[in-house]
Amino acid sequence: MSTTIHSPEEQEDLLPHTPPLDEESPFATMMSLFDEAAAKLGVSPDVYQILRKPDREITCSVPVRLDSGQIAVFEGYRVQHNQGLGPFLGPLKLSPTLQLDEIRALAAWMTWKCATLNVPFGGSAGGIRINPLRRSATEIERAVRRYTANMMDVVGPETDIFAPDVASDERLMAWVMDSVSLHVRHTENAVVTGKPIAIGGSQGNMDAVAQGLRTIARLAVDHFQIDPRPRVIVQGAGTVGGNLARLLCESGWRVVGLSDARAAYYNEKGLDVLTLLNHRREHGTLVGAAVEGERLDNAELLTRPCEIYAPCAVANTIHSRNAHLVDARLVLEGAHGPVSARADRILHQRDIPVVPDILANAGGVVLNYFEWVQNRQGLAWLESLVHKRLNRFMTEAWLGVVKSQVEYGVRLRMAANMLAVKRVAHAGALRGIYA
Amino acid sequence: MSSGTALASPIAQADEFNPFLAMAERFDVAADFLGLDRGVREVLRNPDRELTVSIPVMMDDGSLRVFKGYRVQHNFVRGPAKGGIRFAPDVHLDEVRALAAWMTWKCSVVNVPFGGGKGGVIVNPRELSMSELERLTRRYTTSIMDILGPDRDVPAPDMNTNEQTMAWFMDTYSMHVRKSTPAIVTGKPLALGGSRGRTEATGRGVMIACREALKKLGMRPENTRTVVQGAGNVGGIGALLLHREGYKVIAISDVTGGVVDEKGLDMPAVRAWIKEHGSLADYKDADHLTGTELLELDCDLLAPCATENQITSQNVERIKARLIVEGANGPTTAAADKQLESRGVLVVPDILANAGGVTVSYFEWVQDRMGYFWTEEIVNSRLEQSMVSAFYDVDKVAKKYGVSMRIAAYILAIDRVATAYRLRGLLS
Repeated sequence: MSTTIHSPEEQEDLLPHTPPLDEESPFATMMSLFDEAAAKLGVSPDVYQILRKPDREITCSVPVRLDSGQIAVFEGYRVQHNQGLGPFLGPLKLSPTLQLDEIRALAAWMTWKCATLNVPFGGSAGGIRINPLRRSATEIERAVRRYTANMMDVVGPETDIFAPDVASDERLMAWVMDSVSLHVRHTENAVVTGKPIAIGGSQGNMDAVAQGLRTIARLAVDHFQIDPRPRVIVQGAGTVGGNLARLLCESGWRVVGLSDARAAYYNEKGLDVLTLLNHRREHGTLVGAAVEGERLDNAELLTRPCEIYAPCAVANTIHSRNAHLVDARLVLEGAHGPVSARADRILHQRDIPVVPDILANAGGVVLNYFEWVQNRQGLAWLESLVHKRLNRFMTEAWLGVVKSQVEYGVRLRMAANMLAVKRVAHAGALRGIYA
Repeated sequence: MSSGTALASPIAQADEFNPFLAMAERFDVAADFLGLDRGVREVLRNPDRELTVSIPVMMDDGSLRVFKGYRVQHNFVRGPAKGGIRFAPDVHLDEVRALAAWMTWKCSVVNVPFGGGKGGVIVNPRELSMSELERLTRRYTTSIMDILGPDRDVPAPDMNTNEQTMAWFMDTYSMHVRKSTPAIVTGKPLALGGSRGRTEATGRGVMIACREALKKLGMRPENTRTVVQGAGNVGGIGALLLHREGYKVIAISDVTGGVVDEKGLDMPAVRAWIKEHGSLADYKDADHLTGTELLELDCDLLAPCATENQITSQNVERIKARLIVEGANGPTTAAADKQLESRGVLVVPDILANAGGVTVSYFEWVQDRMGYFWTEEIVNSRLEQSMVSAFYDVDKVAKKYGVSMRIAAYILAIDRVATAYRLRGLLS
């Protein structure tokens, strides 16, 4: 049984919940975005210096008996950034190149993302430096359980909640839930989100990001007075892109472009999205799908005319060398960091608004929160209720960001960052410093 | 409360003005109707637990001062204790005891699953700086936290304490127990797990009580000349909501006095004026009168929403309203009550009429426990449902025993607590 080993096609589906980071100094780079937001807001340096540092960092050794009988010791981390708004929530990440500074940056990112969406959590992140592709499922299980046991004192439903790093990590989450429950001697499913539905996972988890994107797309079309039945290009046909394309079709919008890593299709009159997705489900790729339209590659697809261009695959899809070729009224970030910082400026000069990832793809974080609530209530919500409430959270976040944009006269990305810093700083000031 | 004690005084007049004695008297009347046996009566008369603590605080100038604080838990049988914490120079243990008992009855009337508690610190908060107040609050929290908890005792703001005080309380408790525990207090800021609709909850509850009472008397809002005493969170918001429902609000007052307009006041304008100028003193578009005159105006509905002891044996003969809805705590003395009852004036008593506040406090606690927060519409519609059922529960008891709504409210409250007590039995 392998839950962590994936074929290249599957790999593309495993969209991370966490953003791409600067290789050299992830935390400093992450924080510089928010330093600017704090400065623009006029947050007092006294208060802001608290937000610049994580509350707590834990490093632990994770000894694991390998299948061969030998013992290997892996390194594990958990960084808890800020708990002003509530318990910590953050991903558990398995990676062979994991660094503490990267985890710090992810923890801070989670603080800002939760604050933007107004879910009552602070941010954290953690992980084990282990290569999930080279280790067997049983070795991974032993590593995750030992890591969880090591972190027992600092995790809990009201302390720090684990979330999956990539969409298909639900087995990992089940192991964490089981380990914690055995330690505390009662079922403790609210300690981790992204679980399988059988043990307390939420309905609607799989297409949450896409649902959120659709809500934001509708609001943005209205706000920017774009054709109410816009042409959309979706780059990426996995969990996010594929579901988004399907949902937009269901809403009667024209998906004129769709691509995966190997093939791209464009049809001015609208693509047959269901046939494309069915083909991909059967063959693992969009290559060779029998639909009407042009066959091209991702680079060409980016230049085709549309109202909304939604990059839902990898980071830096739009960069300084192709940003001037984008022929859209609006860019909607479904992936993490699909628009590079320089491309962001170019798009701004060209008057093409970018709805930032921190807001646009936050449906996943909202679902994490909903799962936690359902576990605390002991009541599972129907899928329709999950969707209705997700829609409400995304709408409120959008309205908050737009309000902040108008108030400060900045780009949407900065407006979202400012909203986040403002909320965290406000909660911190109310709670004060306790000794 | 003007009177800092629940002990009888040698002067009869002072006794009339002692709201705790008034409550004790009503308790006895209600207990008699219920035929409550002596043992249970004794249990309900005494607080379950009283804690007195010394609170050393380092002042800004480096000196040390020790304050005295209390937490009284009157009764737990229906759920965790619930009640405010006040900071005032005249806090007295007897008063805290009485207020704790009062909370037990209030929670019981609106059927929220709480017992009653109350806390206080003897301090003049105006003499303390913000950071001194913060240290005082945190040290007081630490001193009493062994008997607190979301399932044990849940404090709330009261006189001279507010959202900020509750934020410090929640933070201190959370840091000690090593987990985020917003359900430890209610009345928190929205950012830290407060509830939407809480600020206007008491005023909204008063409006609902007025509406149901009107139905009972066969009156119509548009023909109801209404006088409201008090223009703050209870009176001001209550009057605004009544105005919105079509009532003719002819007069309202604040501490500086009142304004009257027989044709009906433009309540949104009055509220805006207060917001801008801080008081009603120079309001242009109406005639002015004193607070005492206001109570005696010719009207159909009088809603005293300011302080206690406003309708007394001294002025009750001149009160002309057919309906009195008590937004404040204890605005009518027991002596005045008897006169009103004999004249057939309907009094919707404080523990029912102003229970909107504690109801939404309960909603805040529920929301914090599940971690999911309701929209304002949901909060308001659940408040509506709670207040309306409480009103008819009390009304039913009033008819059954042939008593006033006040005595009926006490009968209902005491009966619910006594029933829970009998069901749970004595743990020996």
